Amino acid sequence: MTLYLLCLALFSVGLYGVLRKRNLVKIIIGLGIIEYSMNLFFVLLGYRYHGRAPIDAQAQDILNMVDPLPQALVLTSIVIGLGVTALVISIAIRIYEKYGTFDITKIKRLKG
Amino acid sequence: MAFEQKSGMSLIVKTITRLTVGLILIFGIYIVLHGHLSPGGGFAGGVIIALAFVHLMLAFGKDAVTTRISKEMASNLESIGALMFLVIALIGYFGGSFFLNILSKGTPFELFSSGTIPLSNAAISLKVGVGLFAIFLALVILEGSKREK
Repeated sequence: MTLYLLCLALFSVGLYGVLRKRNLVKIIIGLGIIEYSMNLFFVLLGYRYHGRAPIDAQAQDILNMVDPLPQALVLTSIVIGLGVTALVISIAIRIYEKYGTFDITKIKRLKG
Repeated sequence: MAFEQKSGMSLIVKTITRLTVGLILIFGIYIVLHGHLSPGGGFAGGVIIALAFVHLMLAFGKDAVTTRISKEMASNLESIGALMFLVIALIGYFGGSFFLNILSKGTPFELFSSGTIPLSNAAISLKVGVGLFAIFLALVILEGSKREK
């Protein structure tokens, strides 16, 4: 239970970064922290104590393996996170090119 | 040597990069080739291979890499990776169904075993490695075009 609450704390750190910071780069870092806290939470859901990695290794009994399904899901989630991060960074670069600042309170012009 | 001093980072970073980049590349290839035996596989190995090239680009400046690998070439290689994976999947139709593993399986837990799975890993590593490198290349080219304005 403590581990889940620590995941929630990490999620809150990322949410604080997204909601409270004014620099676009810090907002992107906050998005990354949220994503990793969710990945950590999924992997923790499939964990069992004293379990071993779900790999069919040579001369070992298949006993006490952790759940491989969240790990496969998280692998996909990491790939999607990579794509989202690349997209957001390219949008941030375009915004900097247009307005000359990363401060979101100074990006006011709607057209031009 | 002399022309390399102009772009990129300091001499210390360049020397360390020369020593480590080959090791990173070999580790990525190891992860790809052992994908059917141990954790890792096409995606993780491809990311490590792409990071070796990104490392090279960060240390030596973008001209060291962009003159050798253009954006079109990276895009073409990425498409070739996807097509290789499709062809490996279609090979299964010779045995009866999609993705059927018709090659010889070999003995388990050896390097050359499990039929088409290492080939699929190689195709995925090409796709992921070149794709991730192309994302970084596109961001660098975007940055360069902004500075010229």
